[in-house]
Amino acid sequence: MPERRLLFRNLDEPGLRTLDVYKRRGGYRALERAIRELEPDQIISEIEESGLRGRGGAGFSMGKKGSFLPRGDMPKYLCCNADESEPGTFKDRELMFKNPHGLIEGIVIAAIAVGAQHAFIFIRGEYWDVADVLDAAVREAYDAGLVGERILGSNHSVQLVVHRGAGAYICGEETALLDSLEGKRGNPRLKPPFPAVQGLYGGPTLINNVETLMNVPHIIRHGAEWYKRLGTEQSTGTKVVSVSGHVQRPGNYEIELGIPAREIIFGLAGGPPPGRRVKVWFPGGSSAPVLTEEELDLPYSFEAMAEAGSMLGSGAIIVGDDTVSVPELALRTARFYHHESCGKCSPCREGTNWTVKMLERVVRGEATPMDLDIIASVQENIIGNCLCVLGDAMAMPVGSMVRKFRHEFEEVIERARAAHGGPLDAAPDDVPPVPLGVHA
Amino acid sequence: MSERNEITFVIDGVEVRAPEGMMLVDAAKRGDIEIPVFCYEPKLGPPVGACRMCLVEIEGIPKLQTACSTPVRDGMVVYTQTERVKQAQNAVVEFLLVNHPLDCPVCDKGGECPLQDIAMGWGPGRSRVTDPKRHFRKPVPLSPLVRIDRERCILCYRCVRFSQEVSEDEQLQLLERGPRSYVGTFEDRPYIAPFHGNIIELCPVGALTSEAYRFRARPWDIEEAGTVCTLCPSQCNVKFTVRDERVMRTLARDNEDVDDGWLCDKGRFGFQMIHSDERITEPRVGGGGTLNPATWAQALERTAEALRKAGSRTAVLIGSQASNEEGYLLQRIARQALGSPHIDSRGGQPIDRDTLLELSRPELGAAVADIDRAESVLLIGADPLNDMPILDLRLRKAIRRHGTRLVVATERPTTLDGGAEETARYAPGEAAALLADLAAELRPGDGASGPYAEDAQRLAGELRPGATVIIFGERLGHGPDGEACLRLVLECAEALEASADGAGLLEVPERTNARGLREVGCLPVAGPGLAETEQGMGADEIREALRNRELEALILWDIDPLRELPDPEGWREALAAARFVLQVGAFETPGTNPNVFLPLETHAEKEGTVTHPDGRLQRLRPSIPHPGATRHGWQWLAELAALLGHETGIDSAPEALAAIGEDAPIYAGLTHEEIGGLGVRWQEREAAKNLPEPAASVGMTAVATAQAPAQANGRLRLATYRDLWVAEATEQSPALRFLLPKQRLELAPVDAERLGVAEGDEVELTANGSSIRARVVVRERMLPGAGFVVEGIRDANPNELGAPGGVEVEVARVEPESPELEVIAAGGGR
Repeated sequence: MPERRLLFRNLDEPGLRTLDVYKRRGGYRALERAIRELEPDQIISEIEESGLRGRGGAGFSMGKKGSFLPRGDMPKYLCCNADESEPGTFKDRELMFKNPHGLIEGIVIAAIAVGAQHAFIFIRGEYWDVADVLDAAVREAYDAGLVGERILGSNHSVQLVVHRGAGAYICGEETALLDSLEGKRGNPRLKPPFPAVQGLYGGPTLINNVETLMNVPHIIRHGAEWYKRLGTEQSTGTKVVSVSGHVQRPGNYEIELGIPAREIIFGLAGGPPPGRRVKVWFPGGSSAPVLTEEELDLPYSFEAMAEAGSMLGSGAIIVGDDTVSVPELALRTARFYHHESCGKCSPCREGTNWTVKMLERVVRGEATPMDLDIIASVQENIIGNCLCVLGDAMAMPVGSMVRKFRHEFEEVIERARAAHGGPLDAAPDDVPPVPLGVHA
Repeated sequence: MSERNEITFVIDGVEVRAPEGMMLVDAAKRGDIEIPVFCYEPKLGPPVGACRMCLVEIEGIPKLQTACSTPVRDGMVVYTQTERVKQAQNAVVEFLLVNHPLDCPVCDKGGECPLQDIAMGWGPGRSRVTDPKRHFRKPVPLSPLVRIDRERCILCYRCVRFSQEVSEDEQLQLLERGPRSYVGTFEDRPYIAPFHGNIIELCPVGALTSEAYRFRARPWDIEEAGTVCTLCPSQCNVKFTVRDERVMRTLARDNEDVDDGWLCDKGRFGFQMIHSDERITEPRVGGGGTLNPATWAQALERTAEALRKAGSRTAVLIGSQASNEEGYLLQRIARQALGSPHIDSRGGQPIDRDTLLELSRPELGAAVADIDRAESVLLIGADPLNDMPILDLRLRKAIRRHGTRLVVATERPTTLDGGAEETARYAPGEAAALLADLAAELRPGDGASGPYAEDAQRLAGELRPGATVIIFGERLGHGPDGEACLRLVLECAEALEASADGAGLLEVPERTNARGLREVGCLPVAGPGLAETEQGMGADEIREALRNRELEALILWDIDPLRELPDPEGWREALAAARFVLQVGAFETPGTNPNVFLPLETHAEKEGTVTHPDGRLQRLRPSIPHPGATRHGWQWLAELAALLGHETGIDSAPEALAAIGEDAPIYAGLTHEEIGGLGVRWQEREAAKNLPEPAASVGMTAVATAQAPAQANGRLRLATYRDLWVAEATEQSPALRFLLPKQRLELAPVDAERLGVAEGDEVELTANGSSIRARVVVRERMLPGAGFVVEGIRDANPNELGAPGGVEVEVARVEPESPELEVIAAGGGR
């Protein structure tokens, strides 16, 4: 049984989203322990000890991040990143929708640990129904004295606000999230300073993904030792994996990190429809470099995915079977990032735009193999040169597709050339100018 | 300057020393290494790292880093020439050109374009882009003064940052996102803001072009000439772009101690007045309303003859833009050639010389740059945006970047109120009452007890002794309590330990070179260097003396008394009664009817010096040849003096400055070389010790009890304010003319309700038998009972209504359909 339910335990129990049922299932006991038995520093070291890594994409140790926040008396903040926007990722949605108190408990414990008096859940605007559920749960928690002033009679106070985003992928980037939360245009900030030092309203800020924070009560309740036994040495705990694409049973599955990817895609999600083969798969959301059929037996862990030249990211597996055209997949992927690029830094703004135009030509059959070299080179020019990782998020998968499936791109070009029966007479400049902006 | 550790780092194999924490891009320059940038501009505040042009390799850091945002550390090893860096630089240039139209041949920026230069120096040199570029309609007006070409824009954010973080008008925004991003305003409204011209100069490509400069010159046609803008007391350092002996545009010449590299739009576009068709460029002689062109010899002979006759019965009034040399020679002609002490550059009643000496004490003077580092700033009786615009930006910078606490005490709301910790309003004419309370509150062991006690307590609570800059308006010194106000400012300064380093007093004068003219002897109470002198008449007394024929001749230097001075009716009589009027100006002024009119230079032609309000002497250099028959002022003044039998021996501008140095010991030994391009503060020179000692020391100042608060008697007390745009430069520059204000009456919402008028209504204001018309503007944060109108508007001049600063007026709404007037409120005051 490859599934290992921790966050998913009792998840489908009717009424879990109410305080009563959540408490009956052991809810808020971790918070009690955190308040009555542990000092804030002990909470952080417990989390650090557990090896919990961020579940939002970067996989950074949560305990370490928390320990970067300066101690002392100053306005500090905690932001829960619930702007789940990575294509293929839908785990936080289900977790929050069905178990809002699990998140609230994690937030309050983490806020107490780092000394944040204000916490925000930045939830993507499209999750309006989830936000309503969270609002109701937060109200319940306030009424029960689990959030707000003097929590459970202690000296700890945490105010919690659910903030609905306005629908931009970039606001899932932590510094853009902060700008957006402050009421500004959601653009990433220059780092350093990192949010742990200077974040929301200039105060030290801890930013964590929903799933990460939901692991916290389990760690506090059962201890780091217990938690560490799950998963691998460098990827402890469980992971909720969102499997989508060409599989027979798409959905969220909670697994122990380190099991072979094949078990997730075939064992849990049922594999591609009968008679089809897996051709290409994203192991960690659409920004992860793609893997192929040969790589299905790799262990699904942060380190193994990195070694294979990709990443575990947000844990969203998107599967494409042999009916998928990789050039079209590349275009679809590039278009998303082109649409979502904030435009602040040049490589991302112009690189995504240029890549889309070139891929469109490839798909239309108006490209030459030389364009493939340019596409590959442009991806290399983007990677590592941008202000945030959005540019890389397009360049990495697109670059990997051109590299691993170059023959398929060339076939498309060759087919177009053959159908045309001669040299190409593509004249891209014949496209009539389309004015953008206010005077359009 | 704060002491920072010097560190050593290695860049491209060269050891370079730089202050710790300096950004790498600046530190690299010390090793003669240029790192290309687009978005980096320290004037705009902290770096944003958006353009990615400045990527460099740093040992120990796996990713390339932006040099604009990386502070140097000791032992840092940096590479700017490796293959990796070159590839990244090529890549960024290539990305920026993906959507750039490359229309350099027809672009105004071509030839002086950072994008061109960087593409040449750091780009790949060939294009791989075959796809169509993004298109925008272009060029479209962003404002009446600036056009935007969004296709050329490389989205570096500079203009947006200026609008958001420097001028804080927050009108410019980046709209849309990704490659569809563009710079614009909310709902495409025109970007109207007093400093917005700076974005043209900030733009590193040809996306923002000046409506006044577009297609009028190419970089290889032009020369640049550095001088100082004398259109207002800010005295910003400028560069004129000259083509074929004509000024084509004005650019900022960065001087951190004066302007931080910014200009207001009046300074930037007002150059058009230099070549205005209406400018008078030849001497004219006549009288009784007619003037005929004449030669200089004829005009000067005629003048000399009349002045010889009038002798000591001559008076001189000096206006805004006179240089130190011109002022010095004028007072020398008056005092030494004619024996007349009646010379005034201030207007109104003279101020006691002792008070002036106290205010001028070198240790009390704050430099403009002190504002940056002050812990608190008290702004009293001045409205920087209108009186000395660039100070507005300086204060915003201090608040935003250094956490300076601003405290505002003015009669009329200022644009800085929003950023102030505390604001207080006093009723027109009651500045002294507030100052008395503030001084009492600040004095140890004393406390405020007057009508403004509560305000004084709030204000005083924010002010840190020894670390406060007090910015006060010269206009505080006018009116019946003028002397008391200035004395009280001194008392506040003493209580706030303003003589400490980094603290001090900064006066916002009403005229450009007010300080210089005062210090070279253009006051009735003090000679050059504020020396003791025979007491002469101030402007008000001169007017009366002309009317009753005690005085016979009048010299008006760049001043229109009918427009700028109180009691225009009195001045009309005075001018009519004068036997001889010499007017020196650049434009005709209706009603002055001089006997001789001599043409004035503009700041583009002038040679000489001016003194900044903080005591910085700055040099004016001729940028273009004289148009028509205009001549250097110092030159013909020296000739006139000789004609009057007073040989000055002045044959050149340096000699004129040397003569000032001899007569005004505080300016002793000054030369053009010493002043140089960035100026020198006289307080920081050895000669500052030559400032005479005041006879009496500052004592406690008694103030007459304040009048009943205006709101209590149910009338509107009218005061005036200066508007930035009421100026010859606006009237004579076609580009700026749209900004000329119409007369307006600003009043508090409660007064509007009480008087039954609404925003936009036309009203007639009547007092002392005269009336003017104005449009109603309802403003929050106004003191109830007070109304404000704009000074100097020719067809609705509030001076016609009587003494400024507290006249009570009737307000009547003018019905749009019928000319019938309905009297709404009757005021006393008569």
